Amino acid sequence: MITLRRRLVDWSLTGLLILLPALVLRASLDRGTPSGLDKALLRITAPLEAGVSWLVEGVGGMWERYVALVDVESENRELRADNDKLRKQLAAMTRRAFDAAALEDLATVKRQTPADTVGARVIGAPLSPQFRVLRLRIDRGEHEVAPGMPVVVGDGPIGRIDKVYGDYADVTLISDPASAIEVVIPKTGGRGMLRGLGRPDSYACTIEWLERESRPEAKVEVGMEVVTSGLGASFPPGLVVGKISKVSRDDGMFQRAEVEPAVDVSRVRAVEVLLAPPPPPDPDAKQKRKSEPAFGTRPL
Amino acid sequence: MRTATFVLVAYLMCVVVASVWRFMPDAARDAVPDLGALTAAYLGLTARRALAPAVAGSIVLGYLIDLISGAPPGLIALVLGLTGVVARAVQQRIYVRGWAMTAVFSGFVALIAAALQLIVRAAYGVPRGSWSVELHGLAVVAIATAIVGPAVWRIFRRIDAGFARTHRERDAALEGIAP
Repeated sequence: MITLRRRLVDWSLTGLLILLPALVLRASLDRGTPSGLDKALLRITAPLEAGVSWLVEGVGGMWERYVALVDVESENRELRADNDKLRKQLAAMTRRAFDAAALEDLATVKRQTPADTVGARVIGAPLSPQFRVLRLRIDRGEHEVAPGMPVVVGDGPIGRIDKVYGDYADVTLISDPASAIEVVIPKTGGRGMLRGLGRPDSYACTIEWLERESRPEAKVEVGMEVVTSGLGASFPPGLVVGKISKVSRDDGMFQRAEVEPAVDVSRVRAVEVLLAPPPPPDPDAKQKRKSEPAFGTRPL
Repeated sequence: MRTATFVLVAYLMCVVVASVWRFMPDAARDAVPDLGALTAAYLGLTARRALAPAVAGSIVLGYLIDLISGAPPGLIALVLGLTGVVARAVQQRIYVRGWAMTAVFSGFVALIAAALQLIVRAAYGVPRGSWSVELHGLAVVAIATAIVGPAVWRIFRRIDAGFARTHRERDAALEGIAP
């Protein structure tokens, strides 16, 4: 009898104990946030959990960093191979992007130039001992270009075709002493002849025969822009040649100025060759003309 | 005192397992042994005269696991309480002794606990995953529990032996003979 009563008490107590978490679960689901007891217990147990985690992570980290390095060498080799491959791809893409930019520039020049032109790729560029480009070799030959034809890029003039042989042609740069281009300084209106100085360490040119500086409005200063004049029926007018970098005023009759070209010849990958001079301007372009009646009748 | 010791040791083991399992390979990361269910089953199976202390210990342990696992408070507590009752119910029918039997019983306990958890979650409207995910989780947890079960039970038996009042009780506890 006592055993039965004890069993009943035990099972009743067990039932009550089971009921307790059931009620706690219902309450926690209804509430949705931890209760005060939950928070207090978490605060008490958190240092223990943090300590165990710190210990385990320390041991695990030591294992990962210093012991378990079995696959690191092969993985490193694979990553190096991948890296080399990606570097090559990047170089090829950069070259393509550079070519695309150069072609875009040429397209702009072609659009802006009222003359027949042909595009060409630069296939060679001999250098001076100071690593300056002396001339350019392009992939257009006897059937397409001829000596004396002007060569330009998006930033301005480059030079003229010098020699043509087979499928190639050499371009004499504007920095070459053999080159001569008629230029104008838009700010002063002064005209002159741009010649290359032929320096091995720079692309500098000089403008000769500029009007004397006694006239205040003709005074040339450093930084002024120099453009092609269009005279001589070679380069179209208005192409930016460069900027005045130095002015010499010791000449009795004329000014002399040094010009730093706008085009960085060492980066040129494609050029435009002007096949024919631009057509002369239409003399009647600004004249208003009355429309003539067609067949003697006028439209209503 | 005995039950409190079991709860404390089991809680410490749960904290260690939670920290260690982070370093397991991806394939085994879901296979976390159900130490709570093992403890509840052991307490239920070795309950001496009264079941209530074993169930109370299971519920307290479950509540602590609820807090560290982020489950709704009361969920694992209720499941472990019920697991203790189930273990008590099979006390006179199953004789858990030897490595193989302990492993099989541990896997069985994990399955029972997982099934109880599914039932409780369904009853309380706690969201669950798809059946395939739940069954996969249930299977890998049961396998992991079966693998670590014998070692855990060995520790529990050592603790039980520490609380023995006589040599006979001590030997019985180490042998895994129910009181």
